[in-house]
Amino acid sequence: MIISTNWLDDYIAHGLDDTALADHLTMCGLEVESVETTGSTLDGVVIGHVLTTDKHPDADRLSVCTVDVGEQETLTIVCGAPNVAAGQKVAVATIGTTLQLPSRDNPDERVEVTMRKAKIRGQESHGMICAEDELGLGDSHDGIMVLDDDAPIGKAFNEWLAERGTATSDTAIDIAITPNRPDAISHLGVARDISALTGRAICRPKVETPAVGGPVADAMKVTIEAEDACHRFVGILVKGVEIRESPAWMKQRLLTIGLRPRNVIVDITNYVMFECGQPLHAYDADTLAGNTIIVRKATAGSTFTTLDSKERTLPEDALMICDADREIGIAGIMGGENTEVTDDTTNVFIEAAWFDPSSIRRTAKALALQTDASYRFERGVDAEGQAWAAKRAADLMVELAGGTLVDGMIDVHPVPYEAPVISLRSTRVTDIVGADIAPTEMVRLLEAIGFGVTETQDNPPVWNVTVPSFRPDVEREIDLVEEVARLFGYDNIPEPTHSKLPNFTPGMAADRQRREQLRDVLAGLGFRETCTNSMLPLETAERFNAAALPGGRFGGEVVETLNPITTEMAALRPSLLPGMLKVVGHNQNHGQDSVRLFEFGRVHTKRNTNRSMVGDYTETETLMIVAAGKWQSAGWQDPARETDIYDLKGIVDRIMGALGLGQPRYKERDGDDIAAYGVDILLGKQWVGALLRVSDDAAAGFDLRSAAFVTELDFTSLAAAAAGTIRPRFNAISRYPVVERDIAVVVAASQPAGPMIEAIQRAGGELLKDVVVFDLYEGEHVGEGNKSLAFGLRLGADRTLRDKEVDKVVSKVLGSLEREFDAKLRG
Amino acid sequence: MDDPSRSVAEAAVKALEQLKADIEGAVLDTAEAIDAYRIRYLSRKQGQITALMKRIPDVAPEDRKAFGQEINAAKDMVETRLEEAMAALSGSGSGSAAPSDLTLPGRAQPEGSLHPVTQAARLITRVFESYGFDVAEGPEIEDDWHNFTALNFPPDHPARDMQDTFFIENADQDHGGILLRTHTSPVQIRVMEEVMKDGQPPIRVIVPGRVYRNEAISYKSYCLFHQVEGLYVDEGVTMADLKQILHAFARTLFGQDVRVRFRPSFFPFTEPSAEMDIWWADESLPDGGRWMEILGCGMVDPNVLESVGIDSEKYTGYAFGMGIERIAMLRYGIDDIRILYENDVRFLEQFS
Repeated sequence: MIISTNWLDDYIAHGLDDTALADHLTMCGLEVESVETTGSTLDGVVIGHVLTTDKHPDADRLSVCTVDVGEQETLTIVCGAPNVAAGQKVAVATIGTTLQLPSRDNPDERVEVTMRKAKIRGQESHGMICAEDELGLGDSHDGIMVLDDDAPIGKAFNEWLAERGTATSDTAIDIAITPNRPDAISHLGVARDISALTGRAICRPKVETPAVGGPVADAMKVTIEAEDACHRFVGILVKGVEIRESPAWMKQRLLTIGLRPRNVIVDITNYVMFECGQPLHAYDADTLAGNTIIVRKATAGSTFTTLDSKERTLPEDALMICDADREIGIAGIMGGENTEVTDDTTNVFIEAAWFDPSSIRRTAKALALQTDASYRFERGVDAEGQAWAAKRAADLMVELAGGTLVDGMIDVHPVPYEAPVISLRSTRVTDIVGADIAPTEMVRLLEAIGFGVTETQDNPPVWNVTVPSFRPDVEREIDLVEEVARLFGYDNIPEPTHSKLPNFTPGMAADRQRREQLRDVLAGLGFRETCTNSMLPLETAERFNAAALPGGRFGGEVVETLNPITTEMAALRPSLLPGMLKVVGHNQNHGQDSVRLFEFGRVHTKRNTNRSMVGDYTETETLMIVAAGKWQSAGWQDPARETDIYDLKGIVDRIMGALGLGQPRYKERDGDDIAAYGVDILLGKQWVGALLRVSDDAAAGFDLRSAAFVTELDFTSLAAAAAGTIRPRFNAISRYPVVERDIAVVVAASQPAGPMIEAIQRAGGELLKDVVVFDLYEGEHVGEGNKSLAFGLRLGADRTLRDKEVDKVVSKVLGSLEREFDAKLRG
Repeated sequence: MDDPSRSVAEAAVKALEQLKADIEGAVLDTAEAIDAYRIRYLSRKQGQITALMKRIPDVAPEDRKAFGQEINAAKDMVETRLEEAMAALSGSGSGSAAPSDLTLPGRAQPEGSLHPVTQAARLITRVFESYGFDVAEGPEIEDDWHNFTALNFPPDHPARDMQDTFFIENADQDHGGILLRTHTSPVQIRVMEEVMKDGQPPIRVIVPGRVYRNEAISYKSYCLFHQVEGLYVDEGVTMADLKQILHAFARTLFGQDVRVRFRPSFFPFTEPSAEMDIWWADESLPDGGRWMEILGCGMVDPNVLESVGIDSEKYTGYAFGMGIERIAMLRYGIDDIRILYENDVRFLEQFS
């Protein structure tokens, strides 16, 4: 909400400059988002008297005027306004004056212009006769601003304005109002906080509320049927108003706070709302059928045309204002076109009501229609503020629109307001705040913002505190504690120099510890961590909700949001793969052909599983690793090499090693929609992930420049499996030498090496510490359809091995390979 | 053609030619490759040349000499290549003689890095861990109870508008609505519920995690970001304690002489509520800098404590929450949040 400082000054002489004022507001909880000065000082603009006007000899639309500005010589000024005439008092911008003129291209923008002596179509011109918008006093550019006849010639225009209550410049302070401060959505509300902070008194406009009843009660009848949603309805009638423009000072203030002036009646209702926080509505009284107003609930599904000429379908429960025949307004949100004030209106009925915040909020939400009125009602307006606001508006209509007040006031008040009384312990304040605030200070602060505090004999004091009607947010003791704390000033709360240690033992969750460890391992292995969006198009999500990957393995459906920002982000990722492929594609198209990346992230599917925490959703964490392009770039001695699946397999081995899980098993799997080829990764019998080359179909649309090799691991499972290995156990190091033996065997070319390694490990028993494949050869020497595999064995024990023992193991291994795989020892 | 020894010799000669080609062609750039090469040709048991030598007796006597010479030549070749390879290998590092050109660049090692969001999150969690905070995590898909109701967001309250929510299931069911969590605060509730199953405070925990907001994407907001939430519930916890720890945190992140201020704000789950700003020096501004909002905080609202069965008269607590991206952007001078999720390597490599 924007506050005009000129306007605020009406209510409190705070003595603060703009910066200090903004600082005070921010530090008491009314956060200032911006401070902007509007308008200019108008120094150099003087009041002139138009003596003569002649047609410009070379331009039909221009006049050449002589103007008396109180100097010895009159000024010659060329003027383009059609309404300029001899005898007028006008505002003249003399040479050297700087004005903020509306931009020709965009009337809402202003450009700084300094007056110079000019020749306009050959005629000298010594200044400018100003229109309202050129002076920043309004929107009007219909013609020059014509002043009252008694305006003194030669007087500084800004002084003359000031005498009429109009300032030439203003400061707009934009405040972010938190939902707990409905009392501060007005100039008087803000003034109240300033008053509490500065100790200066508030000066409210004098308003005498009329007695209830009287002639107005004869002229209009108000009935509240929906008493739960409308606790009070105040009405006042003003007759014989003249619909005209508002005075400059009012228009200027409305412009400062971002409202466009309309006509004096509408402007007054807005002005009073921004003055005191009570929304008002003005009806053209002559359009109200049966001189009757009824407040009741709408029939769901019926339609209503609001005063912005839009036809709206009413939600169930919408609270409506009706006359004898029809609906005439959506209560607290927007009035109807059928009864709005028009240029022909002469009699105005002013409504000031209290509506239930929840009711207004539900309807406004359902209609997707937020107005200045609904914004205030749904936060809660002053339960006692209706009569003051209605009469204040009526007074202004009498003063500014020439109306006549119809005596009396309608005040239908089915649910009277009862001020809550809350018990407040002074000790509770100090216990929460942790500052030594004197009880007398607590009382002073609360009373400064309108709370009533009873005397008490208790020691330490416990008070009964009466909540003012404009603070519906204050319901509990803690709310009072906050009021004291914020006015005391958070910056005045001293920080302790010591702190106690709580008696409990923090630990680090195993999965978190493992995640952080793997991040470091992978970064050390040359992988870069990414952070990708969790949301993606539905079609993509469904494509990657594949059984080959950890998320899709749960067999659930893709999770969609009910209200996505765009269809590009309609679903939650079931896998980190699509996000990662997008990153690979992006980089390969920005000069990075070779990438190694990884990401930890949650993936989601809809299915109830043993991992479900909320609803029927399975949320699990996966680790995605990708390598594409060159694994090794060309050096001065080393050739470049493209990434292949074994590179990534080695990375998976390293991860399992880092987790203390030992060598995983890799099981070949058939290709599918996602994988051109690949393997499942198992720990014992447990599936923990897949390692694959992304199929060209799956990669389509990601614009990859090379094959992508990826692994997606079910990190939740991995971390659980590794929970027991966080603390390594020491094994005594053997003091005896290891023996190395190499064996080379010939097998059928189609024989996979994996089962052979497993067989070697089985046959090697305890003495076999390690086995590696160090050569793979296919060619003439081993015969068509065969290959040679060379294994390096490391054997050891907690003693020196004898040759015989080693030979025995080697021959056992060879025997097993021969038996199981028809392997022949290569001579 | 009836002489068996001749056909043996022919086959052997043919094998020898292939062998020579292999001997010439093999790449010997590592110690392992050299070792394997030696074994392949010269090993007593498996060496191919050793094997050929053993076959000399099978060759017809008149060809034996030539055949023997051929094998020896092959053996010489192997040995020569081995010597050269060893020399080359030692020349590239392990011998004592200097390689010919030390100005050649080193062999490139791939460079890895952690995402700046991870780095900032680690920094933040490290500070609080050093003050004895545990770390907890919770689900990203949440129910209305944990995300809103238990945190003292009344139904139909404007406070719910403070966080634009992605909904997954509507509210008209038992769970009251399922959504993507809009903050990490629901984990406060989960942690307290867990503790209260068989215990009592103190509770001292921080919660890092991903959260979602249904906001238009721009340079300053994205549909998701990461938060760190903090919670301390114990007897005698005050706002003064809250100020103390957050000021300490600000000093760690932004320097010993950082200026901080606490100003009143509003969050449904804390009361009193505050926001902490730090003074961000910027010479280009008229005041030489400006206040920047860093985090929201406050004293845990009694309604929140009661919602999980904690006696709010006996225990008080503080909570705070901050956006990790915001901290990362400030620390690293990043001016557009979207670049964090684009993962351009030219961006990521700046955080190596």
